[in-house]
Amino acid sequence: MRKLTRTTRVAAAATAVFGMVALSACGAAETGKSQDAKGDKTVKLTVPSWVGAQANTAVAAYILESELGYEVKQQQMGEVLAWDALSKGDIDAIMEDWGHPKEEKRYIEDKKTVVKGGDLGVEGHIGWFVPKYFADENPDVTDWKNLNKYADQFRTAESGDKGEILEGSPDYVTNDDAIIKNLDLNLKTNYSGSEAAQITAIKKYAKEKKPFLTYWWTPQWLNAEVDLVEVQLPEYTEGCDADPEKVACAYPVTSLQKFLNADFAENGGDAAQFLKNFTWSTEQQNEVAQMIAGDKMEPEAAAKKWVEANEDTWKKWMP
Amino acid sequence: MSATATARPAPEKTAPAVTASRPSLAELLRHPLRGKLAVLALVAAVVVPTAALLWGTGAWPENLTADISAPLDDANRWVIDNRDTHPLFLYFLLHLSNTATDAVGSVYDVLDAMGWTGVLAAAVLFAWRAAGLGRPGAKVAATAFGAFAVCGLLGMWDATLLTLALMVVAVTLAALLGMAIGLLAGLSDRVDRALRPVLDTMQVLPAFAYLLPFVLVFGTGTPAALFCTVIYAAPPMARLTALGLRGADPSVLEAVTSLGTSPWQRLRTARLPLARKQMLLGLNQTIMMALSMVVIAALVGAGGLGEEVYSALSTVDVGKALAAGIPIVLIAVWLDRTTGAAGDRIGQGAPGAGLLHGRSAWALVAGGVAAAVAARFAVGAAWPEGWTVNISTPVNQAQAWVTDNLSSGVPLLGGTEVWSENFTLWILNPLRDGLMWLPWWSVLLLVAAIAWLVGSWVSALTATAAMSLIGVLGVWTKSLDTLSQVLAALVVTLILGVAAGVLCARAGRLERWLRPLLDAMQTMPQFVYLIPVVALFGVTRTSAIIAAVVYALPAVVRITAQGVREVDPAAMEAARSLGASTRQQLLQVQLPLARPALRLAVNQGVVLVLAVVVVGGLVGGGALGYDVVKGLSRGEMGLGMTAGVAIVCLGLVLDRVTQSARKRG
Amino acid sequence: MTAPTAPEAAKDTAADGPSDEPVFSVRGLWKVFGPKADRVPADPELAALDAAELRARTGCTAAVRDVSFDVRKGEVFVVMGLSGSGKSTLVRCLTRLIEPTFGAIEIDGEDVLSMDASRLRELRRHRASMVFQHFGLLPHRSVLDNVAYGLEVQGVSRSERRARAAEVVAKVGLEGLEHRRPGQLSGGQQQRVGLARALAVDPEVLLFDEPFSALDPLIRRDMQEEVVRLHREEGRTMVFITHDLNEALKLGDRIALMRDGRVVQLGTPEEIVGAPADDYVRDFVRDVPREQVMTVRTAMRPPLSGEADSGPALPPGATVFEAIEAVARTGEAARVVEDGRCLGVVDHAALLTVVAGTDRREEVAA
Repeated sequence: MRKLTRTTRVAAAATAVFGMVALSACGAAETGKSQDAKGDKTVKLTVPSWVGAQANTAVAAYILESELGYEVKQQQMGEVLAWDALSKGDIDAIMEDWGHPKEEKRYIEDKKTVVKGGDLGVEGHIGWFVPKYFADENPDVTDWKNLNKYADQFRTAESGDKGEILEGSPDYVTNDDAIIKNLDLNLKTNYSGSEAAQITAIKKYAKEKKPFLTYWWTPQWLNAEVDLVEVQLPEYTEGCDADPEKVACAYPVTSLQKFLNADFAENGGDAAQFLKNFTWSTEQQNEVAQMIAGDKMEPEAAAKKWVEANEDTWKKWMP
Repeated sequence: MSATATARPAPEKTAPAVTASRPSLAELLRHPLRGKLAVLALVAAVVVPTAALLWGTGAWPENLTADISAPLDDANRWVIDNRDTHPLFLYFLLHLSNTATDAVGSVYDVLDAMGWTGVLAAAVLFAWRAAGLGRPGAKVAATAFGAFAVCGLLGMWDATLLTLALMVVAVTLAALLGMAIGLLAGLSDRVDRALRPVLDTMQVLPAFAYLLPFVLVFGTGTPAALFCTVIYAAPPMARLTALGLRGADPSVLEAVTSLGTSPWQRLRTARLPLARKQMLLGLNQTIMMALSMVVIAALVGAGGLGEEVYSALSTVDVGKALAAGIPIVLIAVWLDRTTGAAGDRIGQGAPGAGLLHGRSAWALVAGGVAAAVAARFAVGAAWPEGWTVNISTPVNQAQAWVTDNLSSGVPLLGGTEVWSENFTLWILNPLRDGLMWLPWWSVLLLVAAIAWLVGSWVSALTATAAMSLIGVLGVWTKSLDTLSQVLAALVVTLILGVAAGVLCARAGRLERWLRPLLDAMQTMPQFVYLIPVVALFGVTRTSAIIAAVVYALPAVVRITAQGVREVDPAAMEAARSLGASTRQQLLQVQLPLARPALRLAVNQGVVLVLAVVVVGGLVGGGALGYDVVKGLSRGEMGLGMTAGVAIVCLGLVLDRVTQSARKRG
Repeated sequence: MTAPTAPEAAKDTAADGPSDEPVFSVRGLWKVFGPKADRVPADPELAALDAAELRARTGCTAAVRDVSFDVRKGEVFVVMGLSGSGKSTLVRCLTRLIEPTFGAIEIDGEDVLSMDASRLRELRRHRASMVFQHFGLLPHRSVLDNVAYGLEVQGVSRSERRARAAEVVAKVGLEGLEHRRPGQLSGGQQQRVGLARALAVDPEVLLFDEPFSALDPLIRRDMQEEVVRLHREEGRTMVFITHDLNEALKLGDRIALMRDGRVVQLGTPEEIVGAPADDYVRDFVRDVPREQVMTVRTAMRPPLSGEADSGPALPPGATVFEAIEAVARTGEAARVVEDGRCLGVVDHAALLTVVAGTDRREEVAA
């Protein structure tokens, strides 16, 4: 008899739990679209993995909090993931984007959940670079036609009998394998797999004054520490990189873009307007980036320092 | 980590498929190994020329590949287009993700509301209560106090709480899921057999590969991070629960049956309690696995300590990364010691006296925590600003010094860079080039032959199928590149690990001294030592191998030490009484008798080395690891998944060619 | 007197009338392990094979072969045999812990083999409980909770089962150890817990599977005396498995001696020792101190005139050993007296015959 009551009790509890689950499941779940942006004053920004973009976010967040009275939530995530989160409203804005044609088409044109937020003002450029101390000794290395002559000096254990070109994080677009093949260069890519590994390798080479060739870009805070000189590849023309297999030209100069969640852009009020207005120069971004990366300051502290010194610039962004 | 993957699918040992017809051959075949070799020679003599004629040489042929990227990418797109409208999402998956977010959020709120005094008190009292009174309890409690105090001192208090909140929910879910799976597998042989490959895949498939679909389905931040962690961390709990249920003392179960228990009563009152020790070990393993996902969780925006590590990487700030990595290690040590001590107490069963026993002790713990929570109003909830130490600068200076002085130009030894170069030139390159030089069909034959020699024809079949799948997926060359790295890492790990393990077994003090180091090697996120490794060894495959060795070594050392130490004392005594020298004792008694443990060490070595193939991709390993990372960061699910599946296949092949079928079960 | 074969013995007991109704009644029981075990008992040709042949022919092992016996109410029924003789399998078949292959088992006239799961649980919970060689205690429970386990399984409330368990714990002499864990007890104490657990459910029959073979000799003797005492006090029916002949002779009212799955002899200790059925049994009992087992009822001869009135009186169940003592003390032949009637006398010569074992041949010849 007692056994029975115990069983009954368990059964009743189980029924209750299942019932609750079933009831709650009856309702459609919240999709998490940026309802926050309408009511309370919260802005969600993504923090990308590279310092330049961290500088944008830090400064924007600092001004939003201190001047406009918003609460800013910063979330770190990969770039493509950030696009997806932007589309879903999990974040409100991407402050620096180097170009994601596939995502732009998917989210801006097809789903219309993301809108452009205008130029950041910073110009990004990808290219092949050699250290200045090497270019000074061998001035003709800066022309791609002479690279084969120096391939020997770029050799490492990884590249075998070819010269090594150091590649970066898989995050970044690269056509280098195609360029090497199509320009018939005696080089081999070595994928370092992460920006941190690539920077570490560059710093180490620079310290030992060794020759090296690397895929690199500006703006980048490291450029302030290590002087790099770009190797001139065949000039970029519109559409020369259309077929990834046949690329044989330099990378374009990209005007870096901001993107906002469509809902936020419309209903985000002052915050949305401020982020649309946000625009600064490459030098200004580098200044903050160098404070964060070179001087190891906390991003907030670096942003505070810059904001206090550059009131003229950011006053123009205020809505 | 000793039991994370103790068992893999185990076909019964079966008689060789080829049997001899002539008596002379039968004679030969009586010797198992020589017999197999003879058959192999015969098969090779026939097959090799035929295959060479038919298929020639070179890598896996194009026309035998199938592209799985396209359907995966389609699925990817379908999810993005339908997740806001499709009922599957609205009525099920979104509930899951919202509940996950809420659960982690509320745990964090509770921790935050307790204040630092409350959390510290709770951690210490919990450890003390779990480990029991007396010396062991005090020691564990002291560890807990030290761990949390250091987290605060390093300025990582809030990040620690965030990570802890995620871990609490993730470990709870993983433990429950693992227990459920383990129950099924423990009670039914068929489920057990069916689940083993699933569990293996869950552990070896890199999280990077399925992070993307999880983000698409569950959203960035907490939910994706949580579910990925659960998937990675649940298998050990499942395995050990099943093991515990199966290993229950049959005489107890018989006695319990003889008293007329129903199956449910048997499970509740005997089987589960008897499996408690194993289950606690499973929980311990689950916690360790979950903690190793902290940084990966940060990649999708889960925040916490992982984010600190990850953002330190962008500025190449080793000191800051270390400051965030140390709390992860300390949380791991705290939980490991606490669960370990609780496990030791099971079976000792010495109920303490009076007041400090059972419920009253828990009441005391609750009281202590309540008092500490009250105290927070006096001292504030946040860790005091002034009580933090900046270790970043000195660590960075130390790292710079080490790099400058050890990487090259060291008299006689040459320096790390020289070693790395020679290792790449003389070991890695020949190994890789050799593998790639082999015609594809001969690789398959080789795999089949070794698997058959070591195990049975079933393992040969599985290994060959897995290797063929790699070819079909179109990542043949990359997989051979990765395979060469994995093999090199495995050999280095085993040589170092077995040597260190034997030393540890013979000198207990050394092991005590090494334990914190091994703990740190195992739980410190690899991202933290990525930079120093690259600084010392360069962007090379050697760096990838170093990362793998560091991660896999502790398990191998521990398993070897345990195996050697547990060698039957009677056998050792007999050897000593015969006047065997230390060397003879080791080579003739200890190592042969520790063979099961050594086999387990190899198995664990394979699993763990493969688990960090992706990390290797971050420091110049390239190949499959790089593809997995690229798939995630570029949103190409097909690319990442293909590489991920290929890694799983490599795991299967390596397991089959190293583990004999009999012992695998 | 010839030793009865097993089935005959069963018939004998069955004929004893309703007052002596058997608790367990086993008929033609088989337990065969191996592939397609069913066919072995069914096929007379296979059933006749010996163990090695059977294994060669079918891959099967017959642990119990065509065994029949009755366990009478209130008796201690001992099944004795060397390891591998099938005795442990046999006792497990009684409550179907091991499912028999063929045959019939009845408990109080109810067919055990046809019981469904719940009826079988009922049997195990209330009617027959077992004490095991390796104790089978739950290591995570205290002594008290282990003893109360059978009651818990039946659904008895916590306070009631604890109270009843406490009584049984006292009965087996474990007072003061109620809150210890099994791991903290000695082997003998653990087996007392096992015994208490079986007793706590107040079963009709107690089944013992070599309960004392894992214990030290001294403790074993204590425990045997404990069982004797319990049996004397409660008169509970017991089935006792052992490989120890002395234990069997000491405890058993009747003994079934097993070899290779068969019962080779079933009888009282006196019958087994006094009239071994075959050379195997004879060899087995050779070293038994016969005077401790044989009773004066066997050793006596009809009284000569005058003897019926003098000399020390002994009950017919007294052992020869006791008779020797009495005869030696008085110097006269002892009388065997039952209900005031003299059944016979034992003198020096008769007693010496028993001790020397020379009586056996005559009996077998007769």
